Amino acid sequence: MKRRTIAGVVGAVLGAAVVAAPAHAQDVKIGLMAAISGPIAALAPPMAAASRLAVTHVNEQGGILKGGKLEAVLGDSACNPQNATDVATKAVNIDRVIAVVGPACSGAVLAAANSVTIPAGVLMVTPSGTSPEITKLKDKGLVFRTLPSDDYQGRALARTLKARGIDKVAVAYLNNDYGKGLAESFKAEFEANGGTIAGYSGHEEGKASYRSELATLARGGADTLVLFDYGDGTGLTLLRQSLENGFFKTFVGADGMKSEGLVKAIGAQNLGGFFVSAPVGEASASLENFNKAYKAAGGNIDAVFATTSYDAAFLVALAIEKAGGDKAKLAESLRAVASAPGEPILAGEWAKAKQLIAEGKDIDYKGAGGDHEFDAAGDVPGNYAFFKVSGTGYESIADMK
Amino acid sequence: MDLLGLANYAVFMAILIGIYALLALGLNIQWGFTGLFNAGIAGFFAVGAYTSAILTSLPATGRLGGYELPLLVGWAASMVAAGLIAWPIGKICLRFRSDYLAIATIGIAEIIRLVIRTEGWLTGGVRGVTGVPRPFGELDYMPSQIAYLAIVATLVLVAYLLVERQVKAPWGRMMRAIRDNELAAAAMGKQVEARRLQAFVFGSALMGLAGALFVHFNRSITPEAIDPMIATFLIWIMLILGGSGNNRGAILGAALIWIIWSVSELLTDRLPTEIAVQAKYARVFIIGLTLQLVLRFRPEGILPERQAGSPPRR
Repeated sequence: MKRRTIAGVVGAVLGAAVVAAPAHAQDVKIGLMAAISGPIAALAPPMAAASRLAVTHVNEQGGILKGGKLEAVLGDSACNPQNATDVATKAVNIDRVIAVVGPACSGAVLAAANSVTIPAGVLMVTPSGTSPEITKLKDKGLVFRTLPSDDYQGRALARTLKARGIDKVAVAYLNNDYGKGLAESFKAEFEANGGTIAGYSGHEEGKASYRSELATLARGGADTLVLFDYGDGTGLTLLRQSLENGFFKTFVGADGMKSEGLVKAIGAQNLGGFFVSAPVGEASASLENFNKAYKAAGGNIDAVFATTSYDAAFLVALAIEKAGGDKAKLAESLRAVASAPGEPILAGEWAKAKQLIAEGKDIDYKGAGGDHEFDAAGDVPGNYAFFKVSGTGYESIADMK
Repeated sequence: MDLLGLANYAVFMAILIGIYALLALGLNIQWGFTGLFNAGIAGFFAVGAYTSAILTSLPATGRLGGYELPLLVGWAASMVAAGLIAWPIGKICLRFRSDYLAIATIGIAEIIRLVIRTEGWLTGGVRGVTGVPRPFGELDYMPSQIAYLAIVATLVLVAYLLVERQVKAPWGRMMRAIRDNELAAAAMGKQVEARRLQAFVFGSALMGLAGALFVHFNRSITPEAIDPMIATFLIWIMLILGGSGNNRGAILGAALIWIIWSVSELLTDRLPTEIAVQAKYARVFIIGLTLQLVLRFRPEGILPERQAGSPPRR
């Protein structure tokens, strides 16, 4: 009993020492919670590599704070809440990180934020959790994301279609959080603006034929099919089968449908009535910086969520620099470095940002994946454009409001 | 690394071990004592989790729920719901023997998972249920975790004592008789089908409670949590490793597997960063290897079932 008491006292003293230490600490640790094993295992390595690239940029260009090194601890959140909470607990308690990038999947974000990082007061920036539920977290302002919630794109698309004079549509969506999230927000906004949804159904992945689903949707009498799916997967099958059978005249997809493989497979001459919405980066110079550096580091620049992963890690580093390593000020600093006004900072420009922060000047990070002007809930609004098929690729025809 | 952090991490691990121990105890009633091969643990876990979440969560648009009932009501309801779902399933499927039952229960767990994913009005669909309250959740990080651990530990202890009492009673001997020789037990006048159904429902109710404890700990649930890998097969490994037919073995197995799973990541983090991504798979390999070694050298598990008739070890 006595030994335990002593251990407790020692522990408390050590703990207090560590809590009090960061002002003098040189090296700073952040956690990277990638979904390395599990259902999105294929997406994880490029995401982790992009975040690491941001860390490399920081360390190559003068390090963090007073010449310290930024260290990234890689953890496997496996896209499920069990492993995500486990890896977050380890990052927060064992590695003593002051901020985390990730987890990747929305369910993992909700669990890890709720049971670990929010109670522990640790900043979280997810590069790929798109569920609208993340907006609703009671997060004490500690949870951010570097890509828009599914809600934004669905709503923007609904307004765009209404503005283009389309009043009646059928909606088909892939039944996962991506497809369903988009479909729900689209439906709500389209109906609120006086549009009619003449058919609305979800489909499962990987079937050979969707003709019966399409026939049911076409019976509603709409000429336009809004398709929330992936152009390299089920979406291609649905599009091809509705063209073959003449179920619909016009097709509208979201960013998942914007695939060049789809144009190659069906042929641009058959896709005159096919439109997609997709995010566009406003600060394209920043994206070029990133693409050049990422390619040089051996990455594939078309990898999904690579830009948002880079931005998440870079923003966290900027926030740490701005806050002087003070954990309690991180969230506030993140807002400060990400939002206008301020001197614009592009991807990779760590040395410049560090100097401006040292001079006490305001900076505004323009990321590779977007401007990242956070709203009150820590979400970013997306910048979307409306595309049509042109040649072997896509051409932007209008900005979406 | 410091002691406070280590303590926090240990408390967190203990909470998850407790939740998995409840699942393993439930499976032990079904497999260990009665010989029912339930490969659909995730389904009952999910029913319990969602029942409690829906009953106790804050109101939300677009799905059932927001009744904000007290936690104890939610937890009791999660056990009842899991038991109620298990009853008709058992009624139909328990006529199957071992491997056929396994196939049927895998199918049922998948049905439950797909219903949860698609029926958004009931479960929030792929977005899941959020806004679930956590007891003592308004405390600071560490006190809140410790309070939750106390709740989980108490429930595991109560479940352990009740199950232990039950299997030491004539009921337990009868169940083992049914497991080891169904015909002989039937010839002795035991109602084999009714007893097996009992065990199936009891075990499933415990799994439902584990689901409820999980959802309140994370304050949210999404269909990702009921993946068969993490919510069915991992529990089988725990029970086989710890020793099926022994409740202490079930709890020990849950603890060992979770500790290996969690702590091995700290060790693989020492490897060079170039292979950091690949190193994450090492722990999956370690779990598999452990299972192979146990099956090869100690197929009865670490704590084997105590033979009936021999005096209990002191």
